[in-house]
Parts: sequence; structure tokens; C-alpha cells
Amino acid sequence: MFSLALKNILFYKGRSITTFVLTFVSTLLFILYVALMDGSHGSMLQNALKVYTGSIEIYKKGYRDIGGNEYFITDVAKVEKVLDKIDGVEKYTSRYETYGLLSSSENSAAAMVVGINPEKEIGMSELSSTLVEGTYLSRDSGNCLYAGVDLVKKLRAKIGDEVSFVGGASDNSFAADLFKLCGTFKTGSFEFDASASFITRSYFDELMYAQNKASYITLKLTDLDEVDTINKEIETKIDSSLESVSWKVLMHAMVEAMQVDSIFGYISLVLFFVVIFFVIMIFGFINVSSRVREFGTLRCIGLSRGKIRLLLFYEILILSTAAIILATPLGAYIAYYYSIHPFVIEGMSETYKQYGVVSDQVPLSFDLFTISWNVILIYLLNFLSVIYPIMYINSFRPIEATHHV
Amino acid sequence: MKKLLLFILVLSTLLRADEAQDIMKKVDNNMRGQNVYMQITMRITSMGHTRTMKMKTWAQGTKKSFVKTIYPPKDKGITFLSLDNQMWQYVPKIERTIKIPTSMMLQNWMGSDFTNDDMVKQSSIVDDYDPRILKREGSVVTIELTPKEDAAVVWGKIVTNIDTTTYTSNKDLFYDEDGEVVRTFFYSEVKQFGKYYTPTHWKVQPVDKPNNSTEIILEDVKYDTKISEQYFRKSALKRFSR
Repeated sequence: MFSLALKNILFYKGRSITTFVLTFVSTLLFILYVALMDGSHGSMLQNALKVYTGSIEIYKKGYRDIGGNEYFITDVAKVEKVLDKIDGVEKYTSRYETYGLLSSSENSAAAMVVGINPEKEIGMSELSSTLVEGTYLSRDSGNCLYAGVDLVKKLRAKIGDEVSFVGGASDNSFAADLFKLCGTFKTGSFEFDASASFITRSYFDELMYAQNKASYITLKLTDLDEVDTINKEIETKIDSSLESVSWKVLMHAMVEAMQVDSIFGYISLVLFFVVIFFVIMIFGFINVSSRVREFGTLRCIGLSRGKIRLLLFYEILILSTAAIILATPLGAYIAYYYSIHPFVIEGMSETYKQYGVVSDQVPLSFDLFTISWNVILIYLLNFLSVIYPIMYINSFRPIEATHHV
Repeated sequence: MKKLLLFILVLSTLLRADEAQDIMKKVDNNMRGQNVYMQITMRITSMGHTRTMKMKTWAQGTKKSFVKTIYPPKDKGITFLSLDNQMWQYVPKIERTIKIPTSMMLQNWMGSDFTNDDMVKQSSIVDDYDPRILKREGSVVTIELTPKEDAAVVWGKIVTNIDTTTYTSNKDLFYDEDGEVVRTFFYSEVKQFGKYYTPTHWKVQPVDKPNNSTEIILEDVKYDTKISEQYFRKSALKRFSR
């Protein structure tokens, strides 16, 4: 039956080539489309997490909803001891965020001033590597302020200028000081660059009475895919007045945007596959319709309905397998190549800057599991497309089929 | 007959609006006089502890006011000047005069439950709101203040209870734009200073932070004295800081 199927494939070249090409193209396209979609989402996420937000952040309950000094973590050292014992936590650092008024001799602007551990931030965020002018902070940089380029523009200040700070200390008392603008950064996220500034915690803590206090603790994980498991583990080990929140919640807007994007992507693909499915089915049906008498003769010489079914199944199996065998390695190779050498879309970071995207590079995702289910789906669609032609041909009685015109 | 009834209804509505406006003007006049000097103590309760601040304030009409912090020593000499809804601050520690930008007007004032906007826009209760009498209980009239269409105000509405024997408020409820109460002002211990009555104990209670509150006690109040115009110049910020 297999050799008969092979013979039929070679004999009905038009139908065979059409089915082969359609299967090949749809397999290749499906693999690359999904790789591109997953890759761009992964890239968006990595970029956003690289800038400032951690994979997991630990807050006092109420800080994110209400905020204010009442909701600071008041014993950072205790939480850090817990984090030291959790596998999968690569790095962590605490940040003290406050909002106040920064003023140069020229202008004033409301700004977020964050006390950070400069050395710990390296590798946790892109703050140090996005330096534009001047210097990044160090533990001993004292009153040095490291501010976003757009905030500095608002203040009309330049490196070396004095910038005054007026705000509230951690006990709600009045706090004021003179900082020195030592460096500027540009992450590409306008909102961030226009409102954020940083100062070393060793200095800021004294001004704000913030020793061992933090707005939150931010974590970097060795494997981002483990985020839910590690988040659950942290939740069970930290004080019940604290909460551990993963990037999925912290970057809710971005996650939703990615989900919507994926849904629209898959809808487009479904429409595409519906067309491919019907084209393969119609070609199969036309082919089978023109072979009714042939099938009638085969039935008359003793072939059962089951054998006819098997014959057509082999035909689609051979065509699909041949197309998939060629398309899969090619698609996988392209996905692998572009996962290592991402292609560049000029201006992409500008479009997505509200999500913290800081790069124009779009890598493809290379994931064998994803490629496997892509291929299995194409296989299934091909087999489904042959069901109706099989039902059609088997609806004829053998004699009736031999007389079919 | 129908026209007469309609006329009476419209007339009575207008009279009630006028009466509400009159009441609010009297309340505002009681708070300000021609000018007023006060020495106040502010007790700020938050995060389980209470901080005390002492200040001297000078106010001329509705547009000018000057505040000088005299206690605690750490904050001594910090001065604030409000002129026509604009606000400046002088901080002796950094020897800088800073203009508070509009974007900071809703920030807490010196860590209290008052905002910068409260310090500047106290006059707006008469200028920016349309008053309407809601109910009367004896001498206490409840008035709803809704923002005028073109008024740049932050509250959705204010509901105030006015004692018409002294024309002082005993309670103000501040609502946001969604109609939720955001904070409550309580006033008590009304005292007479010359021809003016004013509550000498104020308490602000934010709704979202029930354990926080700010109390103001008016310790020394002098109405209609001669206040030098020099207090209401930008140079005063540094000059009177010492």
C-alpha cells in the first residue's frame, strides 16, 4: 500500500507539488513566526528587567497600593538573611525611594531620588552601563547625584553643579541637602530618564534616617523561568507583613500588552492555517474526485474501504513528512541563528520605550519544545485535510465508482 | 398660579444660595480678618510617634502669607512665603530659596497631613466653590461646596458644618473626584479674639491612614494688627529666617 501511495504521489505531480509546497511554507513560516513572537516578547521582558525592575521585588504590604513612609521595610538585614538561603537568587539589593524637589540655580523639578548600593546595582540593573556623562556612583561618592538626562535637562544643570534636595525623611520629618551632579544616564525610557535620580545609600541613609530601611528589595534570579517557584518559596519564608512580587505583577501592563500581542499573533496564524488547510483539502478533494474510477477499480479487485483510507493516509503522510523534514531543520536553523545574532529594527526601542525597551535588537527564540509542537500541529492539520476526501471516496459503492464520470 | 409657585421656588433657591454665600464669607472673614498673626503648635502623629513643630504665621487678606518654623531646632528658620497662589521656601541648612512647582502642590507640607496647596489656596473656599445649604440642625448649617467650572481646585467637593452663632466650622469633609471622603478636618475650642471667632484646635484625619493625624493648636492669635509688607517679599524668606 505504501509503494502504491508513493507511485500515486509521483503520478499526480500537480497535487503532490502543491501539497508539499504548502506544507513546507506553512511549517517554515509557523516556526519562524512563533520564534519571532516569543523572541521579541522575551527581549522586551529582558530589556525591561535589565533597566530597573527586578525579577522579584519584596515590599511591605501596602507600599505598592498606598505608599508612604509607613510602608517601608524596617529590617532589611533580616530579609537579606532569608534571601541568602534561597537557591536560584543570584543577587539582591535594597533601594530607598523617595520623592522630593530637586532644584538647581536655574530650575526646580519634582523627582524620584533613590538611595542605592552602587556596587550591588551593577549586574542587577542597567544604571551603571547607561552612563552618558560624568561618573557612576560608588560607595564613597558621598553627595554625588546620578540623574536621568531628561531630568537634568529640566533642571538646566550640568556636571559639577550643586542641586538642592527638599523632601521628607523616613520619619516624616523635613529633609534637605545639597547634592553635586556627578553623572547622567539614559536608559531610553523617557519617563524614567525624566524623573529618576540616584545617590549612594551610605550617604542618603544618614540624611533620611533610613539605616536598615528600604522601600523594597529587588532580586535577580539565575533562571528567570523559575520565578514563580522562587517567589512562592520567598513568600513562605519572609515575615507575613511583607509580600514577594514577581515581574509578572510588577510589569502587569507589559505582560498584558504581550498577551494581547500574542493573541492577535495567533489569530493571524489561525486565519492563515484555515486558508492553508482548505487549499490542501480542496487540492486533495479535486485529486480524489478525478480518481473515483481508479478507486472503484481498486475496490472491485478486493481493496477494502480501510485499505483505501490507508492509501490516502500514506499519500498525505509521505508528502507532509517530506515537507516537514526539509522545513523543520531550515526553520530551526534560522531561529537558532537569529537567536544568537538578533536582527535590528531601527526605532523599535522608541516605539516601546514606555515598556522600558532599550534596544533595537529583536532576537528570535530558539526552543526545541516550541518547534516540536509547531511541527505536530502542521502534521495534524494535514491529516485533518484528508478526512473529507477519504469520506467522499468511501461513500461510493465499487460498481458505482467504476462508472463514475 | 403655577407661575407664582415657580417664581417663589426660584426666589427661595436664590435666597438660600445667597445665604450660603454669606455664611461662607463670614466664616472666611473670621479666619482671616484684615490680617492675622498666629503662633501655632503642630502635632503630627504618624508611624506610631508624634512630632511637634512650632511656627509663627503672618497673613494679609487672602493672597499673602508668611510662615516661619521656630521648633524643632533642626527645622528652625525654615520659612515659607505664599503670594497669589505661588509658594517659595527658604531652607537655612542649604541656604537656598526654592519655588515649589505646581506638580508638588499636593505633596505633604513638612510631613504633616496638610498639603502645600492647603497652605496657598485657603482663600479658594470662597472664590472657587459654589456653596449650597444641605441641612440645618439648630444653629449648625451643613453646606456643600462644589467647585466652580473654571476653578483650578483639587477637591471634588467639600461638606462643612458651620455654627452660625460664631460662624466657625466644626467639621469639614473633603471628597475626591469620585465622591469618596479623603480627609476630615475637625475644629474645636472656639475662642473670641476681638470681633472675630476662631477655633483654636484643628485636627486633620486622612481616611487612608487612620493612624495618622495632624493637630494644630493656635496659641497666640492677633487680628488686624500692623503687619509689615516686608514679610510678603521674597527677600523676607532669608531675612526673617534668622
